[in-house]
Amino acid sequence: MKNLITADVVLGATVKAVRDYADIITDRDPDDGEHVAPGELRRFLARLRLLHGVPFSYLVPDAKLLPIESIRFFYIDRAWTDALVQGALSVGTLSSADRTQLEAVYPHIQREVDVAERTIRRPREEERLEGAGGTITGFLLRSRAVSGWPNLHVRAYSRDVLEDDALSTVAESDPARMKVLRMERLAPAVLVVLFDGVPEVVHIEEPRQGIQFGARLDPEDPPAQRRAKVRMRDNLTGVTVPPKDDFTSTNSLPVPFRSGAPGVIDIAKLRDRLAAAPPTNSGGTLEPNEYALQMLRFPYRQVFGDPRNTQDKRFYELDKFKVTVALPKWRQTVVSSLGSP
Amino acid sequence: MPKIGHFVLHSNVLPQITAGRYQLRTEQSGLPFTVSTETTHVHVSAPRFTMPIDQIISSFPPANAEGAFGDRLPQIVLKRRTLPWERNPAGSAQPSATPWLALVVVAEGEAELSTATPVAECVTPGTTLLDPNDRDVEQGLYLSVTETVVKKIFPCQEDLALLTHVREVDINDTELANGDDDGWLAVVLANRLPVYDTANDKPVRYMACLVNVEGQLAALPSPASPIEHFEFALAQDWSVLANLAPVGGADKVIMGNVSLAGTVAPGLFSPRPGPMAPPRAPLAASSLQSQPLTGASLHGGEAMQRAPLADQWLQTTKQIAAAARDPDAKRLVRDTMGLGFRYPIGVYALEKVFRFPVLAHWSFTTSDGATFETLMQDLDVGLLGTLPVPKDPEPGEPEPPPVPESGPEIVATGHVGLDHRVRRGDAVRAWYRSPCVPFPTARDGASSNQPLPLAHAADQLRRVIPDGREDLTLAAAFEIGRLLALSQLSVVSALLRFRGEQFGAGRVREILAELLSFDLPKILATEGAGHVDLGRFVAVQMIDALAQNTERMLGPQRPIADPGREIRFQGDLDGVIAAGLGFDLATLKRRSETLGLQAALESTAVPLAGKLGQVSLDEAGLASLRGALQAELTRTLDVAAPVRVVRPRGAPAAAAPPDALDELIGSAPPDDEEPGEEPQS
Repeated sequence: MKNLITADVVLGATVKAVRDYADIITDRDPDDGEHVAPGELRRFLARLRLLHGVPFSYLVPDAKLLPIESIRFFYIDRAWTDALVQGALSVGTLSSADRTQLEAVYPHIQREVDVAERTIRRPREEERLEGAGGTITGFLLRSRAVSGWPNLHVRAYSRDVLEDDALSTVAESDPARMKVLRMERLAPAVLVVLFDGVPEVVHIEEPRQGIQFGARLDPEDPPAQRRAKVRMRDNLTGVTVPPKDDFTSTNSLPVPFRSGAPGVIDIAKLRDRLAAAPPTNSGGTLEPNEYALQMLRFPYRQVFGDPRNTQDKRFYELDKFKVTVALPKWRQTVVSSLGSP
Repeated sequence: MPKIGHFVLHSNVLPQITAGRYQLRTEQSGLPFTVSTETTHVHVSAPRFTMPIDQIISSFPPANAEGAFGDRLPQIVLKRRTLPWERNPAGSAQPSATPWLALVVVAEGEAELSTATPVAECVTPGTTLLDPNDRDVEQGLYLSVTETVVKKIFPCQEDLALLTHVREVDINDTELANGDDDGWLAVVLANRLPVYDTANDKPVRYMACLVNVEGQLAALPSPASPIEHFEFALAQDWSVLANLAPVGGADKVIMGNVSLAGTVAPGLFSPRPGPMAPPRAPLAASSLQSQPLTGASLHGGEAMQRAPLADQWLQTTKQIAAAARDPDAKRLVRDTMGLGFRYPIGVYALEKVFRFPVLAHWSFTTSDGATFETLMQDLDVGLLGTLPVPKDPEPGEPEPPPVPESGPEIVATGHVGLDHRVRRGDAVRAWYRSPCVPFPTARDGASSNQPLPLAHAADQLRRVIPDGREDLTLAAAFEIGRLLALSQLSVVSALLRFRGEQFGAGRVREILAELLSFDLPKILATEGAGHVDLGRFVAVQMIDALAQNTERMLGPQRPIADPGREIRFQGDLDGVIAAGLGFDLATLKRRSETLGLQAALESTAVPLAGKLGQVSLDEAGLASLRGALQAELTRTLDVAAPVRVVRPRGAPAAAAPPDALDELIGSAPPDDEEPGEEPQS
């Protein structure tokens, strides 16, 4: 046993201390587990990874890249965001000992920030998803739709699981539904959204304000001769008569108007027309509730995706690595089906 | 109950009886004695002239909103499912499938919304209502519309039933139920699309009014042959009245001593075909004759061109928004939303003017045709880095002059060429690529080809690509990351503290390992493979243990509030109070038997020791007062704080009733008991 602390001993201890203690747990959060990096730092770096606070000119270096009324999809360059994090970590590294220590601890920080990225915007009641950082994609939308329709809904799906005009949505926890990592208005008319993975389809939907009723005005008509059409539904099932994306003579009816009165619909006459049309399956009469069914209109949903794509036919190589099951749940499943190890 | 996201539509839900006053007569016969008839009066109440706020669940379009509502029918959702059928519009007491409510949409200038008026005047004069005394409010609003407008925009009688239905939803569905309590909602639709004025290309302000058509079904239009297309025009335009009303009032127009040239649209007061009679008053002939008489064209567009309507409604919207900030906002907002619908039509109209009670109203503005749908479909879609494609010229048209190429220098990898001034001062071009790239990139490895595990300075990330220019992408990212971290002091301190802690723990352990003759034990974290230093390990385990057994480690929790102590007194409460106030209780009681307690108390004089400032007491009086005070004080203290009573040491204390704290102390484990529990005097 030595009883002398010499410079040699201190120097040796220092070298080992900066090199070998990178996995010391400094943060232990009952809700968040054990971590090398403290929570405050992890959350800051994760927000940085999602480009919080990065000046807009760093994202779009030239205004022509994001013209008025446009949407631009992109992938996030992980090398770029890693450089961003490294820049943040380089603060206050004065000596080579500091830098050696940072190099040793960096893999841990990188791993932990990958996990923290997914928790920055976690909906309440949803499970935590853990796993290595995957591909992040997103889009920038610059449009009057952003300023004029606050709270518009954005949803992304890794597989096209939903009919384009389906009324419902898939639950947030569905494996096909991509997690939104960030959704923020950068300017009154500029929206940025980041997804955890590569979506196959993206839905942007008008904010829902309850159920609405109406007809479809033809925008092409001359101002003196405006017409409107109403899409028919099957009275027995409530399903719209196909084709879905067009107003044809077989699936829609012209709306009769009262003469001399702008926009006043001849309600009774329209009822007679709808009742007489075979696709509505009405049997010749239309009760007020059936009439309401015919006049229903739902919030508009714009679907972005590959138009040639048929359902479930495409496969992205990168999606293989996307997290879809929470780690504790996976563990639990393995344990329950294989017995404890 | 339907599933979330689903709903069931019902045609109507008819109540068993309609609103009104009912008399129940109960008679019993066949008994050996006569039983008098029992008459019970029942009043079934329902809104009639105003809709209570809590019955309105939602309305569309939103009040005071601006937007492209042109292809949606306005609607109002009511809470009670039977509400639209609780009265019979035909005036009988039987429930009817025809609702008594209609949602009418009027454009600005077509009708007049009254100010608060006694409800008897809220219907067209001559209308007979079933039981006119059945009214929910004393004053209501009415919509005053000419016969022409009624014929044009009001629903027909057979439309009424079709425009009303009941929706059944799951009450947990916030989107559909909207805070309803039973999941059944009545919906009233309008029959008019609030269209945008395409003819003059300007927004139109509409007001939706929930009107009561009771007793006035005959006034509603009869079905006519429909047309397939329409042109925007106001059903009738009275907005010119806004220009003259404040100047001289209606009298001058009627008396004909005012020139209307320039203030009234041509033809407003000219003879016209149809039900309108010739004007009663001769108008300034010269001014009218010089203008072409354009028949019945109440041309809204011309009249409004003088002041652009867009300005008008913008101003109105602002006024409404300002009104909403007022403390008395509820009344004021409703009132302000009637702006633009306040023209005194009844005074000027030359035809029959109907009045319909308005139960609820709100206004909104239909602006140009950019709907969400058209905006979305016209979006320029692409990956970041694509530039908008210039439109191809139509065949046959001359080529547009070539636009001077000023676009950014973009290459397929997403890099943008930017001006760069190097440190030596030379102006060169450099490449930069934003974090948003048009194709997937590798995180590290081939594409970034990073020689270092971690960059310590931005210069380590500068690259020279084969064309000789520098790629500053990652260097710029590094630098902005550094600046963002430096901009937040808490982050900087967290980072330094974290590194210091980690380093300190490592150094202590290494020095100890060097000095101690035995190997230090490895301490692993509870989960994962990470290590933890001893001090932190102990602290964390300690806190965990404390948190899990608070009862055992930190002691039981004290109740939040103590129950109050009982006030003890001797004798009858009345007696104590009366003695305190100096009453003779027996006399008071005796008197209250004849007069009642209240009157007896009032007639009893309160004994006063003397007037303020006039008291003169001798020594004996003072001494007796002091003695009484002392006795009373001792008694009060005995009640309030028994432990402080002066008494010989060792004498048994008169135990105060145990309170919650005493209970707690008593229930504590015996080893916690301390000496010194005895009260000290």
